[in-house]
Order: sequence, then C-alpha cells, then structure tokens
Amino acid sequence: MKAIGWVKRLTPFDRKLLLVVTVIVVFSFLLPLSQKRGSRVVVRADDRIVFVAPLAKEQQVELEGPLGITVLKVENGGVRVKSSPCSQKVCIHMGEARHVGDLLACVPNQLVITIEGEDTGEDAEFDFISR
Amino acid sequence: MTLSAVDSHELEQVRRRVFLALFVALAVALHTVEVLLPNPLPWFRIGLANILALTALFSYGIQALWIVSISRILIGSLIFGNLFAPGFLLSLGGGIAANILMGLGYKVWYGKIGPVGVSVLGALGHVTGQLLIAWLVVIRHPSIWMLLPFFLLFALISGIVNGLAADYLLGSLYQHPAFSGLKRWTAQTKDHPEEGI
Repeated sequence: MKAIGWVKRLTPFDRKLLLVVTVIVVFSFLLPLSQKRGSRVVVRADDRIVFVAPLAKEQQVELEGPLGITVLKVENGGVRVKSSPCSQKVCIHMGEARHVGDLLACVPNQLVITIEGEDTGEDAEFDFISR
Repeated sequence: MTLSAVDSHELEQVRRRVFLALFVALAVALHTVEVLLPNPLPWFRIGLANILALTALFSYGIQALWIVSISRILIGSLIFGNLFAPGFLLSLGGGIAANILMGLGYKVWYGKIGPVGVSVLGALGHVTGQLLIAWLVVIRHPSIWMLLPFFLLFALISGIVNGLAADYLLGSLYQHPAFSGLKRWTAQTKDHPEEGI
C-alpha cells in the first residue's frame, strides 16, 4: 500500500497526463525495434569516411583518432568498440550496433560508427559492383 | 509604520528575491552533488536541480522558473568550467526546451496540473531539447534519435521523482509564515481529500 502512496500526491489531471506519456514512451520503443539488420559498418572521422567493412566478416580493426587508437570488433553480425583512449568510455558502454541506422560514437576521439545497408539490399549492390 | 500596505508589498518583493536567490543556490548545490556522484550511465542524470525550479514555478510563477533554471545552468557550468562548451550547449538547450514545456503546461492547465505533471513535461522537454542540440552540434546523424526511447523512459521516471520531491518541498514550505502571502498549491487538500492509504 505504501508503494502506491505517491499516486495520492498527483492531481487527477497529472494521472491522466502520466498515462498518456507512458503510452507515448512505450510506443517510442517500437521505433528502434522496427529497424532492419544492417550489412556494413561505416566509420566517419570529421564527416570523412575512414573505414567500411561488411558486418558478415568477423574482424578486429584499429582506427586512429586525435586521442589515439580505438579498437573496433566486428562479430556475429554486429560491431562494438572494444577499447578506446577516451576518458569516459561512453562508446564502449554503448554496446553493440547491428541495425540500419544504429550509431556508436566516440566524441572525444572524433569517430562516428554507423551501420548502413539492409540485409536484402546486399545482392543488388554486388550486382552493381560486378558490372 | 506609516504605509503598511506599501510596506507589506515591498516586503513580499524582498522575500521573493531572497527566496529565489536561495533556490538558485540550492539548485547549484544539488547539481554539483549530482555531478560529483559516481554514475554508471554518464548520459543519464536525474536533474535534482529541477526540484528548485519547480518550487519556484509553483511559488512565484513562470518568470521565477526561468530565473532559477537559467541561473543554475550558467553558475553550474562556471563551477565545472565548461561554459560555452558542447556540454553547456546541451544543458542550455535542454533547459530552455524544458522551461518552455513546463511554463506552457503550467499556464494552459493552471490549477489542474500539479508539480509531478509539470515535472514530467519538463523532463521530456529536457531530453528532447538535449538530443536536438546533440544532433545539431555534435553528431549530425539521424540515428541519434534511436536513443530517444531510452531517454524518454528515464525522463519519465526522473520526472516523477523530481515532481514528488518538489511537491513535498512545497508542502513543508507553505507551513512557514514567510510563504503566507503566496497563492498556494493545494492539490492534495482540495481535489482529493483523504481517500484512505
């Protein structure tokens, strides 16, 4: 009973507002879930592309930024930052990126890692290149 | 002694200034404590300073809200030395967006909306404003908006926590004679009397 005691401090309007906001927050989670799996990882430094690789191929790469070397690990169709010279390690805590539009960023080392291309679009692209 | 009406009005003005200064000082202190506490998720903060901004809003109105929150952001970033750095722009953008939403919510639903409602609106505005600034200034990439759901969920929780804290604070402040001249926030006593706990 004590756990719901705080609800008493809400006005009737507050309760309705909370309900609406909760529904909006729940629906906002459908946004990333609807994302398709990506096919390649693209790393940008200062808006220049410095590295592109398919997600299907497992590998570990070292990328040079202003602070030093950031190590990226590509495995199981996803990519994550394995080690970074930055102080807060936000990029490592961001975990793995595998869906189209997913983003890992190491702001101190000025590296932005994004996932591009849909799984199904891969064949079409190979056709284009082979021509 | 001579003109008691003018005197009490002036007294109210002085009180307002003194209490706003105290609110700003407390907000800066809370913000400092919060930043210094170890935090496993550097991107997520409860924003305890907003308790004082909410208290100012419900005691002295929308202008007081802006005074407390903008002063807090300016003084807070002076203390941590990141004035006009990207982190400061994030705070400022979030603060302005939060204040606009809180002010609007307070004005539009005046008398119906309580501290918790305003606080939740402010928290949602804060994360949205921060992400907007992050997108414009730091990372110009649309996928940054994929973080929005997690920020919104955290904002909802921290908004409720701050709103409740402000509600308790307002409740105890109003018992003090120094606040007797104020229009009071009386949601608990008026709109829903004791319904059993």
